[in-house]
Amino acid sequence: MQTPRHLTRARSRALPPLIACCGLALTLTACGGSSLGSEGSSDGDDGPVRIGLLVPQSGIYTSLGDDMKNAFEMYVDLNDGQLGGRDVEVILADEGETADSGQAGATKLIKSDDVHAVTGVVSSAVMNAIKDMVEDDGVPLVGSNASPTDLVDVDYIWRTSYVNDEPGIALGEHVANTVDGPVYLIAADYQAGKDEIEGFKETFLPAGGEVADEVYTPFPATTNFQPYLAQIQSSDAAAVFTFYAGGAAVDFVKQYDDYGLAGNIPLYAPGFLTEGGVLPAQGASAEGIFTSMNYSADLDTELNNEFASEYVERYDLEPTTYAMASYDAAAVLDQAIAAVDGDLTRDSINDAIAGLGEIDSPRGPWRFNDGGTPVQTWYLREVADVDGDLKNVAIGELGELGD
Amino acid sequence: MDALATNLVTVVEGIAFGLLLFTLAVGLSLVFGMMDVLNLAHGTLYLVGAYAAYALSDGSWWGLALAVVVGTVAGAAGGGLLAGMTLPLSRRGHLDQALLTLGVAFIAAELFFEAFGHEVVPTAPPEALRGSVELFGRQYPVYRLVFIAVAAVLALAVYLVFERSTLGALVRATVADREMVHAMGVDTRKVLFGVFAVGAALAAIGGTLGAPLLAPGPGIDERVLVLSLVVVVIGGLGSVRGALLGGLLIGQVQTLGVSLLPDLAPFLLFGAMLVVLAIKPAGLVPAGGRR
Repeated sequence: MQTPRHLTRARSRALPPLIACCGLALTLTACGGSSLGSEGSSDGDDGPVRIGLLVPQSGIYTSLGDDMKNAFEMYVDLNDGQLGGRDVEVILADEGETADSGQAGATKLIKSDDVHAVTGVVSSAVMNAIKDMVEDDGVPLVGSNASPTDLVDVDYIWRTSYVNDEPGIALGEHVANTVDGPVYLIAADYQAGKDEIEGFKETFLPAGGEVADEVYTPFPATTNFQPYLAQIQSSDAAAVFTFYAGGAAVDFVKQYDDYGLAGNIPLYAPGFLTEGGVLPAQGASAEGIFTSMNYSADLDTELNNEFASEYVERYDLEPTTYAMASYDAAAVLDQAIAAVDGDLTRDSINDAIAGLGEIDSPRGPWRFNDGGTPVQTWYLREVADVDGDLKNVAIGELGELGD
Repeated sequence: MDALATNLVTVVEGIAFGLLLFTLAVGLSLVFGMMDVLNLAHGTLYLVGAYAAYALSDGSWWGLALAVVVGTVAGAAGGGLLAGMTLPLSRRGHLDQALLTLGVAFIAAELFFEAFGHEVVPTAPPEALRGSVELFGRQYPVYRLVFIAVAAVLALAVYLVFERSTLGALVRATVADREMVHAMGVDTRKVLFGVFAVGAALAAIGGTLGAPLLAPGPGIDERVLVLSLVVVVIGGLGSVRGALLGGLLIGQVQTLGVSLLPDLAPFLLFGAMLVVLAIKPAGLVPAGGRR
């Protein structure tokens, strides 16, 4: 039953090493074993709650997947292996990096592992691909990352992250009020890049902001940004708003510094530009970049201090927004399962999620809106050198979005 | 004046990128031209050099020197290995060779993935070459200027050896007519192994020196392979001058072209290839001889 995933994986990028492949297959078999042949048993049994964790264990999104897996497991572990007072069995499936691989993983979790609920999902393409199956089968999906703008009118899909265009929306007005002059917009030429730019303009233009130019760079073919950076320099731009993530974020930020733009033309971006593993790779070139995000590892709240220090202790990494959202997905499931009165089924869990009130989180308190995404506070962050380590430091609030 | 300065800097950038492409493409071109082997693991050789630079450079000259030596040796060894693997397939057509070398590339990519992780890993040049200088009123990274000088010397050396030395004549003759050279009593297999190894070593050196320009990471091997193939097709198979001309042309297309026609950026690379092929189907500087 794992064949389709391995096939798509092999086709998409590279052959997984035999050992990792066998290891994964063994793990999956071991995890799923107990639920084999128990079709329909999600209707009110007394066994453990089965939660499917669909995150990338291979491909370019692996580091995001690791963050999400770590944080979810940390929550369950801190809760004595329980969610909502019930023993929990977390069943891992590889999302891979394409819609096909993600769909194969989701199918396995929903159809053969017969999980009560699914969480995870990094890629928007995967989210779109599995949307119909999730809705038709009525499985609550507490997504902790992917949230494309066109994902609306869903009953079973919740997200603890944010809608794709919200980081841009959060920054628009602030940049319009702070920057004296036109702003150059440059982003990767794919859906997320366009969503962010549109979101930014949605609040930037009404606040009196002026656009110097709007450019989309081929993705992933662009590794050399010099021609674009030269155009920015010869324009009259007073600031730049950009969207890049992953390897392109590293290239862009380093070259922004190499060609002398850093320090002269302020750079604003959604938080992914400097989130997680890319920041150490960018090094000092990233210093002074302003980003918007729904979380910053240095937020000084009691809950975040506990969360961040526990996370650092366990994994020796700063928690990212991806980790935080996955931790919150566990919290959502914890509270929803505890609130279920009567039989624990997919539907009763989903109803309980819909009835949840405010959720206390490392990011600060938030709640679900009618569309199933968070109503939450956004933060302005700046990359700064804190005792020799580069960090995203929250320097202000950008208001509340999602209502 | 300002627009001119902008474009002049971009032209310089294009030269740096073009010379990098030359070091990558020349090996692929000669191997394809000589051995008739389509080596789809060529991008992997770039990664060998680039990851060597990442792992070994510590900001000192010694680190860079060590990375160059290790990268070159590893690249040459990789080239020799690939030559040995593809030799038994020489009578079985391009598809079998492509499958074999593509498989090698996949396995290597997964090993790099395990060893160096899934992020792009930027490599800093030696301390002395960091920072920027003013060029046409703009800041330009010192390292790229030095890279242009070094890569130009490298290109000149390859050109002189290939076009002006007895050894080069032997290689050129093998490209033109392998059977005839063999009939004259030369062990062409040695020539083939040598060219494969040297070509691979050049790609690896390109990786070591080019890592600060094009940082190693997952997927970079494919990017390098596609760019090299385009350069080879444009320049003409089995030709050093063709690889140089093709590299410099694509360098400008990818920088100056993007700067002047940003809206057409996604199409420029293959658009340029299409135009060249329409005018000169055998490439700009086809190697003389068979075909």
